[in-house]
Amino acid sequence: MTAHAVLAATTTAPEQGAAGRLIAIASGKGGVGKTWLAITLSHALAQRGRNVLLVDGDLGLANVDVQIGLQVGRDLSGLLKGERAEALATPVPDAGFSVLAGRSGSGALAQLTPEQIEVILAGLAEAKGFGTVILDIGAGLDRTARRLASVADTLLVVTTEEPTALTDAYACLKLAALDRPGGDRRIVVNMAGTQASGERTWLGLRKAAENFLKVSPPLAGVVRRDARVSEAIRRQVPFLTRHPGAEAASDIGRLAAILAP
Amino acid sequence: MRIRTFRARTMAAAMSAARAELGPDALMLGSRRVTEGVELTAAVEPADDIAPLAPLAQAEVSAPVIPLTPAVLHEPLGPIAAALAAHGLPEMFRNHLAASPDLAATLAGALRFEGLPLGPGSAVLVVGPPGAGKTLTVAKLATRLRLAGGTPRVIAADGRRAGAVEQLAAFTRLLGIDLIAAPHPATVLRALATNRGTAPTLIDTAGLDPFDAGEREEIAALAAASGAAVALTIPAGMDAMEAADMAEAMAETGARHLLATRLDLARRIGAIPAAAIGGGLAIAEAGTGPGAADGLGPLTAEALAARLLNPPAARLARASAA
Repeated sequence: MTAHAVLAATTTAPEQGAAGRLIAIASGKGGVGKTWLAITLSHALAQRGRNVLLVDGDLGLANVDVQIGLQVGRDLSGLLKGERAEALATPVPDAGFSVLAGRSGSGALAQLTPEQIEVILAGLAEAKGFGTVILDIGAGLDRTARRLASVADTLLVVTTEEPTALTDAYACLKLAALDRPGGDRRIVVNMAGTQASGERTWLGLRKAAENFLKVSPPLAGVVRRDARVSEAIRRQVPFLTRHPGAEAASDIGRLAAILAP
Repeated sequence: MRIRTFRARTMAAAMSAARAELGPDALMLGSRRVTEGVELTAAVEPADDIAPLAPLAQAEVSAPVIPLTPAVLHEPLGPIAAALAAHGLPEMFRNHLAASPDLAATLAGALRFEGLPLGPGSAVLVVGPPGAGKTLTVAKLATRLRLAGGTPRVIAADGRRAGAVEQLAAFTRLLGIDLIAAPHPATVLRALATNRGTAPTLIDTAGLDPFDAGEREEIAALAAASGAAVALTIPAGMDAMEAADMAEAMAETGARHLLATRLDLARRIGAIPAAAIGGGLAIAEAGTGPGAADGLGPLTAEALAARLLNPPAARLARASAA
């Protein structure tokens, strides 16, 4: 029996509890697999029967559509013209969820005013056709990212085991605690070496948050590193479609089951 | 937050490196064994003045940053820090615990206090260095469960030490429960699987060297195969740094609980908070006397704070009394 299995068998189970309707995914740092996680989680939630809208909130460098090879005609900017999210969203074939793209090449969304952000948020709130909205927030901790994170019912803060990612995840938690005290924030450790090392990473981050911020973010889940993830991204195919039996797929499945029991 | 990782041969060396670079407020986030020893991740939170998003009417002045000048570092210890120092707690731990005047509240926030998982069908592996008091602690736990009307199963997995089984058998005979002798991991697993029922199972193990990877792996494998919780036994009077290192090492095998022994026989009990912090262990029980029925009980943050704030009398006083 490996030490990994030992720890996995003895550490606390991830925090249970259904997530709210608007689930935002943030990391501060780029390159931690946030967009992949948003896509794959949306897919897994759809497989659990949820009607999911994935919103690409990475307004400057949106790439949800690119990752899964989706041809999108419309984007978020339609919300600013008073159009409905349902009309702007593009269904992902055979995956059961829809994508509201962050751009369609215009670049017009990179510089939104705070008022325009509020119009977009109101549009998402109006999209009653979707029971779950996953909001992929871009890297960085600018005003837009902070606002999007603060309105989420549930904020998933994604980190990896690297100190840089931990530092930025901590910064996310700190700003969230400042912008909306008492909100539902949970940690996802992505690209973890093992379940146990991922849990250790969470424990370290939680310790920092408890000591410096006086908040105790629970673990939403650990997603193990999987070489097939980048392979699926290169092929522009949703991960759960291409590798439904992968370890990372079962990790995402477990995360989805916790968020949508 | 500023994060740094430090590699050193020992935990103590890594901690002093962290302290040297990040200052006395460095918070230990976690550590792991690496080839050259340990890798410690530590962090500090520099003071800043980020405003909340919503525009609020507030003063622009942030809290003054206290510079880490030598004058600050060498300030005389406050009463709590002084008491903790008298218990042998190294500076790294003292700095965490002496931050507020309410030590009990600090302990309650910084440490975990929770009982052993002794619910139906549970199993607890009691581990620790030789002579820590594992066997007597198992006997005390069994006695308590028996007095509460249960019939715990007790497994003696100590196949190394002569007389180990007999020592425990003396207690279980009195309690009217069978002692299962299982000198090898395989026999422990077989014993666990047989007539498991709902009664909790206590497993007494041979004294181990927590710094021996092979011995740790053996415990880890046994815990994994049996699903047993691992509780580390540490005598209260042990050197605090040594206890922290042991707890750290045993946490890697899955140890989550701390059984502190000999609180009645130790004057300096810094090992208890040090082990709890070092390994992230929950303080479950404390041995407070030789009696099987009354010599073990839960340790609360208040009780631990009270003990820590009454540091041992100076050695000089004893010498002059003699």
